[in-house]
Amino acid sequence: MKGTLKVDAKDPEGTIRGLFARWLKEDRLSAILTPAYSASGTATMALVSNPEKLAAAAPLMPAMGVNSASIVAEIARESSPNAKVGLFLRSCELRAVVELMKLKQVMPDSLVLIGVDCPGTYKAAGFRNVRGKDADFDNKHVREQLGFAGNVDFRMGCQMCEYPKPLVYDLNVGFIGLDPDKELWVEAATDKGKALLEGVEVNESEEPAGRKAALADLSAKRKAGTARRIEELDKAMLGPEKLAQYFSDCLNCHNCMNVCPVCYCRECFFDSDTFQRDISEHVRVSLRKGVTRMPSETLLFHLTRMNHMMTSCVQCGICEDSCPVTIGLATLFKKVSQNAQQAFEYVSGRSLEEPLPLTTFRETEFLKVGEE
Amino acid sequence: MADYEPKIVGFLCNWCTYAGADLAGTSRMQYPPNMRPIRVMCSGAVDSVYILRALLEGADGVFMGGCHPGDCHYVSGNYKARRRMVLFNSVMQSLGLESDRVWLRWISAAEGRKFADTITEMTEHLQKKGPSPFKEKWEV
Repeated sequence: MKGTLKVDAKDPEGTIRGLFARWLKEDRLSAILTPAYSASGTATMALVSNPEKLAAAAPLMPAMGVNSASIVAEIARESSPNAKVGLFLRSCELRAVVELMKLKQVMPDSLVLIGVDCPGTYKAAGFRNVRGKDADFDNKHVREQLGFAGNVDFRMGCQMCEYPKPLVYDLNVGFIGLDPDKELWVEAATDKGKALLEGVEVNESEEPAGRKAALADLSAKRKAGTARRIEELDKAMLGPEKLAQYFSDCLNCHNCMNVCPVCYCRECFFDSDTFQRDISEHVRVSLRKGVTRMPSETLLFHLTRMNHMMTSCVQCGICEDSCPVTIGLATLFKKVSQNAQQAFEYVSGRSLEEPLPLTTFRETEFLKVGEE
Repeated sequence: MADYEPKIVGFLCNWCTYAGADLAGTSRMQYPPNMRPIRVMCSGAVDSVYILRALLEGADGVFMGGCHPGDCHYVSGNYKARRRMVLFNSVMQSLGLESDRVWLRWISAAEGRKFADTITEMTEHLQKKGPSPFKEKWEV
């Protein structure tokens, strides 16, 4: 079921809040995870269960502090038939949720995936200043769609995002390519999604050509931008010499790993005792080259993380936002993960059915590997 | 580096290549002593971190020996190692690092000759290539 939804009072965000209220009141959802304003006026997330308390919800807020798939992994680790939580999330967040479901870190049965178009977000830090005192900022942002493709103030991950519309969802709420002061686009892909639209006044129709074109155009412009950025990146990063330099400021804080939505181990073995050395071992290693960098093995950490996570990386770029020494991780991971996923004809978060590349195999593939 | 001798760290599957190496030894086949063997229970058990650590700390090459496709003692470990190798090569390539310092080869317990030949070939390859760029690099 798909079609347009009338927007009241030129307030698309208010219309979405109206849907939330309805779903909570009619007990179709027991709670909704949605973007919300923090007390200081920047981006956070809220789990809203009382329809009277929806004022905090800011479903169209163009700012992102965490990839909320991390939150989903925290709340939906076990299946629970009694709860029914709607996840009102952006494309990269839902793609990460899909990866986590396949990694058995998120149990799908109590979740309803409600996607929303996302043309890009600002970093949560500093968003207060971007927004200023404009209470209607979020609606304005979706209204002024022309700037989406070239907004250089967006998070780097967003500037390279080619999936402004979620790939896997039960229900999607869209506004790209429409006049969001008048209407929103809703699309139910599953029975769970259809159940949410029951009784909602939807003008059923095919996806407007203008919307399709706007999405394709945004995606194409982003891809071209990404290609340019990867060219620049290669100049700064390719080869052992430059690569070591690229990561040479790393503090070993592991923020990039901690905020990564798909890096799922409960305890990373880089945080475990596996690689701990005592002082005499450190000296022994140092003697080999005469001098070792401290903190040690930071490049090993990054290279290993790439080998472990690149097939599931959703390229959200939240790692770069969290890096205290501003290492350009978003573009790097975009390149490395794109290539890695292409090798297995896989796209992270594209489908729940596609098996994870490292959990499956075919006998008759990659026949040259191991032979020459 | 006139006196350069490549150092190779070898991860040999207990059920095939390790026995193949044993056979090469008991059959008194000659091959260069450049590889340090580490016995593992399956080529599928070798995480990329061990390959990377060896390379970053100055090994000139890493060798992995597993059972021929279809012969894995644990049914599918070598197929998984093969996929992991594809991923490893892709990551190395994306970063502009040489992936031909890491070799994966299928060598059965009966293939002592193949084992000796492969190690000879790899040693010669690395001799021609020269030392690993990470050997003297302290910043990694």
